[in-house]
Amino acid sequence: MFGNNRLPAFHPGLTQSRIRDTTSGKSLWFPGLRSPPSESSSDPANDQLPITPEDYFYDSTPMAPFNPYTYIRCPCSELNPYAKRTPDVTAQGLSRAAQDDDDHTFDPRAARSNYSLYPLEYLSFCEDCHQIRCPRCVAEEIVCYYCPNCLFEVPSSNIRSEGNRCTRSCFQCPICIGPLAVNHVETPPDPNQLLSPDHATSSHNGSYILSCSYCNWSSTEIGIKFDKPNSIHMQLAKLRNGGETRLTAKERKERRKEQASQGGNGGSNQREEDLDTVLDMETQFANLKSFYQNQLSDANGTGKAGGDASAALGNLGFDAPASLSRIMSLYTGSSSLHDKKSKSRPGTMREALAPSEGLQLASLDESSAITALQDFESTTGLDAYSSTASTSQLQSQAPYLGASPLHGLTRFTSSLRPIPYLLRTKRSKRCPQCRHIISKPESKVTTTRFRIRLIAGNYIPTITIKQLIIPGLTPPPMPNQPPDTIAPLQPAQFVLTFKNPIFESVRVTLATPATTPGRFPAKVTILCPQFEIDSNTDAWEEVLNTNNTPTSSSQNLSSSTGPEGAPGGRKRAGTLRPGTAGGASLAGEELGPEVGKVWDKGRNWTSIVIEVIPASLVQTAKRDGKGPIKEDEDVLEIPMFVRIEWEAEAPEDEIMPGLGGAGKGNNKEGGGKEKRELAYWCVLGLGRVARTL
Amino acid sequence: MSSATPSPDPRSHHKRHSILPAVSQSGPKPPVQFSSSCTIADSALLTGPHTIIVSTESVIHPRARLESLGGRVTVGRRCIVHERACLGAADLQGRYHKGSPDKDGRSMGAVTLGDYVTVEVGAQVESGGTVIGEGTTVGIGTRVGAGAVVGKHCTLTANSTVAAGEVIPDYTVIYSNGLRRVDKRGVSDLKNKAQARQIDVLRRLIPSNPAKFQ
Repeated sequence: MFGNNRLPAFHPGLTQSRIRDTTSGKSLWFPGLRSPPSESSSDPANDQLPITPEDYFYDSTPMAPFNPYTYIRCPCSELNPYAKRTPDVTAQGLSRAAQDDDDHTFDPRAARSNYSLYPLEYLSFCEDCHQIRCPRCVAEEIVCYYCPNCLFEVPSSNIRSEGNRCTRSCFQCPICIGPLAVNHVETPPDPNQLLSPDHATSSHNGSYILSCSYCNWSSTEIGIKFDKPNSIHMQLAKLRNGGETRLTAKERKERRKEQASQGGNGGSNQREEDLDTVLDMETQFANLKSFYQNQLSDANGTGKAGGDASAALGNLGFDAPASLSRIMSLYTGSSSLHDKKSKSRPGTMREALAPSEGLQLASLDESSAITALQDFESTTGLDAYSSTASTSQLQSQAPYLGASPLHGLTRFTSSLRPIPYLLRTKRSKRCPQCRHIISKPESKVTTTRFRIRLIAGNYIPTITIKQLIIPGLTPPPMPNQPPDTIAPLQPAQFVLTFKNPIFESVRVTLATPATTPGRFPAKVTILCPQFEIDSNTDAWEEVLNTNNTPTSSSQNLSSSTGPEGAPGGRKRAGTLRPGTAGGASLAGEELGPEVGKVWDKGRNWTSIVIEVIPASLVQTAKRDGKGPIKEDEDVLEIPMFVRIEWEAEAPEDEIMPGLGGAGKGNNKEGGGKEKRELAYWCVLGLGRVARTL
Repeated sequence: MSSATPSPDPRSHHKRHSILPAVSQSGPKPPVQFSSSCTIADSALLTGPHTIIVSTESVIHPRARLESLGGRVTVGRRCIVHERACLGAADLQGRYHKGSPDKDGRSMGAVTLGDYVTVEVGAQVESGGTVIGEGTTVGIGTRVGAGAVVGKHCTLTANSTVAAGEVIPDYTVIYSNGLRRVDKRGVSDLKNKAQARQIDVLRRLIPSNPAKFQ
């Protein structure tokens, strides 16, 4: 049941844009490729399509073949989608709006419709609410995090502590984002040590590198080598570009103590420090932090001596004296007091004055960068621009606290560091209303199976569209038009084939507006708006059971291949099974479709015919004064309301009191059967209307 | 392609595994200078009026094309020319360029490969004084234009192009639709060693038939 693997990978970006463009009509048209040969392909007018290069690009005659499509509207786009449909006195306006929404036909061309229409493959189905769910309305939950490179799962506690990148040895090239490999480097033997036996130990030190096999980048370019081939991430975190190790917090503290003890001898000593000392980011932050902490403790000490109010607040954590005095002046309101206080205060904080206090002068002198560019050009002969890092390269860099300057972050590719792989997630989906899980992948990273996957294709019928061409009845295809173009102001007939995926027979009721909404209204008639589809039983069962009726069994064999090979110009009398809705009276002649009769029927599918008379695009456009025909306005889209009813076996838990939800069928009958129904709007994209008169 | 009704080939009874049409030797048979240690497959294609030189221990795969229509083609030592690679190809307009004469007035070769060069599958090196330096890898489907001079130890990744007459400095990597960078790995010696080992293997795998071309 869950073996339907036609579900395409869901692209989050696609939901906001027009999915229909990617799935239908916009495919390329190759001159040699024709749509499947129809009955009229012997018609000479159809065979010689003069295709000129202009036709490919000329807007008014798009030559791309049109693939008919069906999109289904998710109920989440309705106003107040989860509320009951009883008129509410308190929320009258809202319910009226909701009813308006119900009364009006759904307009597939409305701007909002784009967000609610999905191909069937994108939709899920909640078994508890009995409702269609789309990617926009389901709630997603992360099942597991994993590295796309090594496929190791990362526990979510590690995500919190170590971030969202792979902490093993998976890296991407900073230049070309290719995967990096850990390679052993043979250090060339030192000529001085040629005879010494400890050659092995000399090569042992720093003898692994990361290298990209595509662009030939290697970590030696940033002066980094590794001691061991595993846990590269940890080793890299300790190494700065150039190979020197980062200071640990302990070392930094010790170093600061040293400086403090030196500076303690002479107070002015700090001023004489070299202001151009380059601090890396974490050292600067640590220096600043310790400096301000010292300042605060000093200021608090004086504050406590000055006033007990500030001392009380100081315990609460309002530690900054400046903000404290501001707050105090707000409450006291007396400027005289404030003045007195500020006089009594020995002075607020001073700023950091030396690198040991965290002062880092911005290096506005770019001459070194300019000379680096010039040197690159002269030494390598390549364009200097290629030595600068692109925006995407800089953005894909992982934040690294050991980076040396805070100001003027590096702009050269020569200092880019390998990028640890970003982790990916597997997600489960929940119904927004009942919170039941709709889709849940196996939590093991390497399996692609799903534990739960309730896809709509397993619950609601698929609708396939094919233009009906009956020799003699259908007008011949228009010249100079791609095949399957619909002629304006002429009736065109389409066969809709409904295929039932469930194991119960289903009664379908269809409804369309008499004319389609939008700028170019087409008249629509469903010739058989009510019909039944047989259950999706085992394909062999029926063949075995109907041995005694040869005509119907041969029909079943042919139809069990699916509705693809369906109607066309087949003799209807032969294709109809006895005892079904439309099978009764036909004189055995090849005739057009009849009103109220199904067109064809098979094991779990039923075809009906829909007739449309499209408006003339050109005449309407001339008349209504809304400008020329816009892109895709010539596509004939028909909103159709589908209501399906079937009798399902009531599950055990629903018989238990208190569990029968509002969405369930109300009239339970004996034998554990209950009536179910589902109704939704869908859109049929039938074809393009010719831009002729 | 050549004739509508192919005449029955006496050798066609054996099963062909390739989907490509059978090798058809057309055009003039070029004078060749083969080193005694080179490996050249039976189904390599050598055409043109000028000399084709294959030096020591180089390997020419089956269906590699060496065309000397524009001038001499020289393959250096320990080179590998892969399947369907073409040395001395015509440019995209179908013209075979001649190499400009050097100082002595003699014609430059159409294509000159240095030592340890690898020309991978389907790469096209156009004729017209094109030089590919030592240790360079010409990637799959790459096109090197007429008269281009590619330096030593360069890497032209798959499907890149080098314009006609371009001069590529040593150790350049051309990647990702023509971006360029400098290879600073310094592993050219190692690569040459690996090439020698690969040639050792290939010599055992590819049956050599230099006599066919001589």
